[in-house]
Amino acid sequence: MSALVIFSILLALMLTGMPISISLGLTVMTFLFTMTHVPLQSIALKLFSGIEKFEIMAIPFFILAGNFLTHGGVARRIINFATSIVGHFYGGLALSGVVACALFAAVSGSSPATVVAIGSILLPGMVQAGFPMRFGAGVIATSGALGILIPPSIVMVMYAIATNASIGALFMAGVIPGLIMAFMLGCMTWYRARKFNYPRQPKASWGERLRTFKESAWGLMLIIVVMGGIYSGIFTPTEAAAMSAVYAFFVSVFVYKDMTLKEVPKVLLSSANMSAMLLYIITNAVMFSFILANENIPMQLTSWMLDKGFGPIAFLLAVNFVLLMAGNFMEPSSIMLIFAPIVFPVAMKLGIDPIHLGILMVVNMEVGMCHPPVGLNLYVASGLTKLGITELTIAVWPWLLTMLVFLGMVTYIPIISTWLPTVLGMM
Amino acid sequence: MKFLNHLEEWFVSFLMAGAVLVIFVAVVHRYAAGLPIPVVQDWLLTINLGWAQELCIIMFVWMAKFGAAYGVRTGIHVGVDVLVNKLNVRTRAKFVIFALSAGAFFTGLVAVLGFDFIWHNGMHYAVYNVLGLNDGSLFEGPVTPDLEWPTWAVYSAVPLGSTLMCFRFLQVLVRFIRTGELPHHDHSHVEGVDETILSHTLDEETEASEGEGTAVVKTTHGEDAKEAKA
Repeated sequence: MSALVIFSILLALMLTGMPISISLGLTVMTFLFTMTHVPLQSIALKLFSGIEKFEIMAIPFFILAGNFLTHGGVARRIINFATSIVGHFYGGLALSGVVACALFAAVSGSSPATVVAIGSILLPGMVQAGFPMRFGAGVIATSGALGILIPPSIVMVMYAIATNASIGALFMAGVIPGLIMAFMLGCMTWYRARKFNYPRQPKASWGERLRTFKESAWGLMLIIVVMGGIYSGIFTPTEAAAMSAVYAFFVSVFVYKDMTLKEVPKVLLSSANMSAMLLYIITNAVMFSFILANENIPMQLTSWMLDKGFGPIAFLLAVNFVLLMAGNFMEPSSIMLIFAPIVFPVAMKLGIDPIHLGILMVVNMEVGMCHPPVGLNLYVASGLTKLGITELTIAVWPWLLTMLVFLGMVTYIPIISTWLPTVLGMM
Repeated sequence: MKFLNHLEEWFVSFLMAGAVLVIFVAVVHRYAAGLPIPVVQDWLLTINLGWAQELCIIMFVWMAKFGAAYGVRTGIHVGVDVLVNKLNVRTRAKFVIFALSAGAFFTGLVAVLGFDFIWHNGMHYAVYNVLGLNDGSLFEGPVTPDLEWPTWAVYSAVPLGSTLMCFRFLQVLVRFIRTGELPHHDHSHVEGVDETILSHTLDEETEASEGEGTAVVKTTHGEDAKEAKA
């Protein structure tokens, strides 16, 4: 009963278009003042203690690191490297778009920024080479979403915060699904390029490959700093994030010289802006999940599911469905923070691995960014290419379908996500 | 007003940079102290940086609270605007006004709750002590574990930040009523790429390709963009 009330209030408030953080907070307040006897003091305490966890501090650090490297210069180097590796296959430039998106998105941490950076550099070249605009836009819009699966990923940190899962294990778990997904998107691109006989690039020599790799390696090393640091135990995830921010600063100002010292305050400010927004959602989502837990809602949902005889298969199907729906309206971080605390207890009861659930949710977010009516990546790609949303929808469908197939695989083959962290002894 | 804007921006940027530096120094210190260098090692071992984590958390909490207020000004707090944007202009305006007022109401409420909380958590004692009004009936509030700062001072980020945020919501509301404009944050802005190049090249391209069909041209994409920029 109270579950129904809480979610109705939340939905109604959200649909007025107010910030998600505010609607979460107001839902808690409304419920608190009218329906329940939770002492106000305990909520006030949540206002303070909500974000007082050292793990959460990884988010601002990762955002800062990403913002230092979210630069056209870095994108250009990564594209050159990707083209030298896969450019000579059918649809060469499009394939290098997939690879470049995967790498750049992992480094920059932002999907829309990836679509813009890679798209605005690569698409003119593609069109010039004789690719139709639609094809290029479809590849870039979908591949740009790869970033939240390949570590370091902020959405994974959000999941870890909501469920107390290990950040390191989640990051490791994302590696193989990320590679498989990039490979599948690449295969689809290759298949369609071969069918329509799109152009290939001349094969690059090994010297060329080595040269472009050397250029892009500084930026790509960020992934190694984070993963290596966490895996070897040199850093905690938050420390790794802070180190990666320092590293990114060093690379972009002193090695690549894309940025002068004068521009650094601007990067700091925009990172602070972004992280404050996310931390504000976290604060309010913590209050929200506190109320949910206080009303025993996850428990009720669990027992209801078990009563109805839902097994893991039906449950995961339902989770996918709900998340894809939510992906229509909200951005990944909010979805993660709202749904993870609800879904997690049920999943644990059904014996689903927490890491597997996390990866599954992340892949869902990824699909949500690319599918109509309101995929953020579609909008960004539309702004970039001046194609309409309807036209882009047609343009992305082969890759979107690939992503959905991949989502099915991740959902029902848990070993894809759990194998690497298990082998490395992280879970 | 301009002064407040600059102060806010300067403050959050400073906290961001400070937190990175604190953690960086703490990590470097931890490993440097393990190196067997005479004198230096002894000196390093005398420094205790156990408080670094706590300081980092405090800096980020302050950054988050004031950054959230700055975010209202830049329009970064996103909501679900699919339905609202489908409405006609007048009805949409009503919804926007409602949403902004709700934001101001909530942040105002949090400011009051937060202030009440820190007042009973040691601020009452501190203020009365300074003013010489303490008659012995008040108790000192708790302190943070490592730095031993009074928690009320640390937590005052919540009421202060929330008050500022409430003010920003009202400011945006007034501006919206007057001019019909909302701040809008561009999530897809990237330094160092020129987005106008693209539409440019494409226009030329469609014109050119109409003439010669789909000729396969060897591309030098990276240099293209650079040249156009220069």
